[in-house]
Amino acid sequence: MAETGSVKELVRKFILETAQIKGVKEVGDNDSLTDSGIIDSLGIFRLVSYLEETVGVHVGDEEITQDNFRTIADIERFVNAKMAASNQAAPAH
Amino acid sequence: MPYILQQLLTESVKQHADKPAVWARNRTLTYRELNERSNQLAHFLRKQGIRKGDRIGLFFPKAVESLVAMFGALKAGAIYVPLDPNQPADRISYIITNCGIRGLITTEDRLKLLDPAAIPCVEFALLTQESANSGSQIHTFGWSALNYFPAGHSPELDATTTDLAYILYTSGSTGRPKGVMLSHQNALTFIEWCAEMFSVTCDDHLSNHAPLHFDLSVFDVYNTIKAGATVHMVPDDIAIFPASLANWIEKQQISIWYSVPSALVYLVLHGKLDAQKLRRLRIILFAGEVFPQKYLKQLAQILPHVELYNLYGPTETNVCTYYRVDRARLPQMDKIPIGRACANTEVFGVDEKDRIIGIGEVGELFVRGPSVTPGYWGDPEKTAKMCVPNRFQGNFEEKMYRTGDLVSPDENGDYYFLGRRDNQIKSRGYRIELGEIEAALLSHAGVCEAAVIAIPDEEIGNRIMAFVMPHRTGTTTAVELQQHCATKVPKYMIPEQIDLLDVLPKTSTGKIDRVTLAKGVRPVAV
Repeated sequence: MAETGSVKELVRKFILETAQIKGVKEVGDNDSLTDSGIIDSLGIFRLVSYLEETVGVHVGDEEITQDNFRTIADIERFVNAKMAASNQAAPAH
Repeated sequence: MPYILQQLLTESVKQHADKPAVWARNRTLTYRELNERSNQLAHFLRKQGIRKGDRIGLFFPKAVESLVAMFGALKAGAIYVPLDPNQPADRISYIITNCGIRGLITTEDRLKLLDPAAIPCVEFALLTQESANSGSQIHTFGWSALNYFPAGHSPELDATTTDLAYILYTSGSTGRPKGVMLSHQNALTFIEWCAEMFSVTCDDHLSNHAPLHFDLSVFDVYNTIKAGATVHMVPDDIAIFPASLANWIEKQQISIWYSVPSALVYLVLHGKLDAQKLRRLRIILFAGEVFPQKYLKQLAQILPHVELYNLYGPTETNVCTYYRVDRARLPQMDKIPIGRACANTEVFGVDEKDRIIGIGEVGELFVRGPSVTPGYWGDPEKTAKMCVPNRFQGNFEEKMYRTGDLVSPDENGDYYFLGRRDNQIKSRGYRIELGEIEAALLSHAGVCEAAVIAIPDEEIGNRIMAFVMPHRTGTTTAVELQQHCATKVPKYMIPEQIDLLDVLPKTSTGKIDRVTLAKGVRPVAV
């Protein structure tokens, strides 16, 4: 599982890789991914699969909303909260 | 009976003055506000020298001002041209100069994208915000400039139903988009049919999902205004999240939804659609591409109370056929038809021997009637090729439109869509000429030959893939070519995958062999 601090960079890397063909060269933490067409609905679902694979969180359809996925900062906040919740739920060693 | 589109507004305002006409980005305009603001805009445009038949470009993200701009332009006698705010500046500048847009209604950040030297026909810009300090060389006004013009009435206008109302640009096979001219009559023929067919009333809430340069939006806007209903423009940042979109449909109490099937497929797959929450929804219309049957069946099951209609028609004819989904028959059907002609429209298939086809036969679909476009802006050659004399009746001269779509009618008189005669495809409902993408690739200095093919895809219709032979190996990369395309064509036309080959396979006649290329396609990485 990736470390908490790197979620932002993982997401940024994924987005830059998929958006570079559109001429996107940088994405700030608080830039809207949706307004400018950096990512479309297909891209969102690819990003979710990517997060599920690399970070190991499970994302339900009802969680794929603009509140959780509008910016890189939103996504990090959402993923960290998911990870914290699943850590709490896990039995203590 | 209204014969020009703005009369729909001036009629509805009499009864529904204080009702919201449009909702966008958490703002609304009442019918009175829309009528008064569009009157002011019309006077403003006249003051800038705009006369009947002049073109006004609408270049900004959807907002309540979109409707003000449309009706304001029409009231001034102008023809409006919706420009996709997300398309590359190069393509937008081409459209602006192609139809000689004299005035732009835009925002500060969009205006900055355009090089004034590339659009010398533009004499002024009106920003939909207050600030008029654009720093642009183009003479620019802020929205508050409208305040100084009369709100109570529109300028005098001599107009007839055959005057042009708007121009919609679609992908062109020769590498440049082409402008489909639509008259008031073209639009009203469709709107009159809709009003009766779907019994749109002032209690309805219509969605507007399609971009304004896409003809699906004509239904949303003008049916709403005719009925005294409310149109709700789907926010961009909600449209791509199915769960958020489903909540939005519930919250706005949408009763009539119209979109491309791919948007509905995402709602079915990931939207957690709930019939109880969406109980206000009474009609779903879809058009623009084939709805994958398995998802249509799921949609019909999830929302048993909603009537489903498949609408069909190229931009050149508005909608020309319709089919109401028959729930009793749907489970046994392999595909649904595009159906039969709308009121005041005639359609028929013509085979290779130039005969009108009968049941079960295959032919190209032709359309005649008042919904058919007068042609393409500034392109009489293309117009003559697509809008051809009706040789099946000799009583008087008239034109009919050849769609390029192959169809076959069944015993009920419903037509089925079988495919295209040419290289036009649909992806996410967008009409795309593969030739326009090939031209974009070929405009790159490193490209010697290029072929673009479509790979059928269940969720979005088609994926786009390109094969390129560079002048010299190693001089360019797939990503560089994709970035180059991004400056020439809309995002939905950029090839998802570009393979660089030493040589492209050829047919015996020396053409690029697209069939062989398509056979060798690797699965697109997801």
